[in-house]
Amino acid sequence: MNILVINCGSSSVKYQLIDTSTEIALAKGAVSRIGMSAAVLTHRPYDRPEITSAGEILDHIIAVEQVVLTLTSETHGVIRDKSEIAAVGHRVVHGGERFADSVLITPELMVELRSLIELAPLHNPHNIRGINASQKTLPDAPQVAVFDTSFHHRMPPHAYIYGVPYVLYKRYGIRRYGFHGTSHRYVSERAADILCRPLTDLKMITCHLGGGASLAAIDGGVSVDTSMGFTPLEGLLMNTRSGDLDPAIILHIMAREELSLHEANTLLNKHSGLSGISGVSSDMQDIQEAAASGNQNAQLALDIYCYRLKKYIASYTAAMGGLDALVFTAGVGENSPIVRAKSCENLGFMGVEIDENRNAEGNCQETVISSNASKVSVFVIPTNEELVIARDTKRIVEAAG
Amino acid sequence: MMASADIIIIGAGVMGQGLAEAVATSGNEVMLIDKTTKLAERGLRGISESIDREIHKWGLTQADRRAILARIFPSSDISQAEDAGIVIECIPENLAMKRSLFDKLDEICKLDALLITNTGTLSISEIAAATKRPSKIIGMHFLNPVTKIPLVEIVKGLKTDDESFQKAVEFAELLDKQWITVNEYPGYVTTRIIVPLLNEAMHVLMEGVATAEDVDKAMKLGFGFNIGPLALADMMGLDVVMSWMENLLAELSEHKYNPCPLLRKMVRAGRLGVKTGRGFFSYDDEGNRITDEETNEQPADGEQFQ
Repeated sequence: MNILVINCGSSSVKYQLIDTSTEIALAKGAVSRIGMSAAVLTHRPYDRPEITSAGEILDHIIAVEQVVLTLTSETHGVIRDKSEIAAVGHRVVHGGERFADSVLITPELMVELRSLIELAPLHNPHNIRGINASQKTLPDAPQVAVFDTSFHHRMPPHAYIYGVPYVLYKRYGIRRYGFHGTSHRYVSERAADILCRPLTDLKMITCHLGGGASLAAIDGGVSVDTSMGFTPLEGLLMNTRSGDLDPAIILHIMAREELSLHEANTLLNKHSGLSGISGVSSDMQDIQEAAASGNQNAQLALDIYCYRLKKYIASYTAAMGGLDALVFTAGVGENSPIVRAKSCENLGFMGVEIDENRNAEGNCQETVISSNASKVSVFVIPTNEELVIARDTKRIVEAAG
Repeated sequence: MMASADIIIIGAGVMGQGLAEAVATSGNEVMLIDKTTKLAERGLRGISESIDREIHKWGLTQADRRAILARIFPSSDISQAEDAGIVIECIPENLAMKRSLFDKLDEICKLDALLITNTGTLSISEIAAATKRPSKIIGMHFLNPVTKIPLVEIVKGLKTDDESFQKAVEFAELLDKQWITVNEYPGYVTTRIIVPLLNEAMHVLMEGVATAEDVDKAMKLGFGFNIGPLALADMMGLDVVMSWMENLLAELSEHKYNPCPLLRKMVRAGRLGVKTGRGFFSYDDEGNRITDEETNEQPADGEQFQ
């Protein structure tokens, strides 16, 4: 079964066409700069070189049309006709409290999705645009929504309620939702497979360290806590986001610098994190290089990043009363031996011991990087959210008959 | 989504710059036209400086800056408006100039284009009468600074049709603005109410009741204004405030719109507010307030004008 996986941003559409029988991506690609006169489509079939084309793509509907045309084109295509796309799986950032699992998209569901825009004003509107666009382009293909939040749905209330008046939870849904669920789920399942042990027997911490970063405490396959909260701003230090801070700080800065809500929001989400502390770059690779060549602020940013990560790893171990496996994934997690080593430093007391050589060689592939003596197995596992979306889409569509 | 390349702004002054920045920030391309290439490019520089100030205030990033500026095309060729779906006029608040521009646009623009005049006081019907398509003319009164003020007044002229109104609403929503509907009447809602307030503040200052600082402090703290009336007048430009008053006075012949003598005097003296570095308060080149000790000039309290 061929599943088209779609991930829609404000001016971009990323896609993969996945054959679920082999779990191979027949093609991957993206449309960027939608709405501008020179939009760009890049398309990489699994068996041929990448192609790029530029032209005017005014909206997401035209973008999805272009994607389908490219997938079925004689020269660059991987299928003959759009009827070979059995279903479409959509990444949807926020599923609120309502969605514990992926769901088949129906007109009633679209109404519910729209009601969630208030919780994720930056992401859900684009995701909805993507759904509308593919319904228009592929009217015969069933569509499935896969939520970033679903995996954290069974988190207990003591992990998701904040210390503000409870009535605000009731009134506005103020609680921890957590994000990156699809990725945490994928790598935790992979780690259990590699260990040849059932997920239900394992206490695991998964670290998704990309531009945004979060970890999840996964006890017996259930996410029992996660570092991102009501929004993706909480928790770890990120590329440009502050992560945890005393909430009074923002009130203080807003008063001192006479900032509007928008400015304060941008300050925390785009001017902070690695970028704001180092003044060098928002990219971990650049930060490490600058730190290595003696830039003290870059070194400080790196230190803070790893220190927070270590605190979270230890506190989630306490939350679960033990730890069997620790997983690093996404851009930084898969590519930075320094971050992996530093964030596990001195965690020997709880059974985490990294093997230096394995860590150094463990980039971008499924690898065990803990020593033979380490009680906790530490892994690098490249994430594959698209595959999870394709699998879920197949399961939901088949169940719906 | 609206086709992106078909929004055109005419007039690259403060309002035109703000509107172009707002359109580009919303993700759409926009052409900014003025009489000469030099003026249009100066408009683009103004936008660039405005973005820099916003980056300094954490509101935008360098990446935003590149993206926004890449969507704005300065030009001096008004014939470029021929394919545009939306044309917005942002030239000075002068009826004869606006009418002559709309006469020209009437010849250039395609028939279903929406022609918007950005005026705070003038009659839409009178501007529309300069064209052969008064139903396609509508007023949208944006307030300065356009990127920050979430409001726009949509002003229907006597002959403006529903389709044009609907298009104006869509344009407002594209820019993420709240809108109110105004049936054409001099000064609409915002200008009509704020202008006498500013004028009264100037009278209070002129009569020596309180210092400029204290007038503003009273209104800010006493009534929750974000900015005091005298600082607001400085920001709008005292010449602009005076032209609004004169338009209102000419239309309505009411004494309450008579510009305060202090305002007349300051405009004649070229003390126009933030843009000249000096109005009721003093400003540096970036438009930041500076204390009077930092300048060599006398403060603009009432006494020196009496």
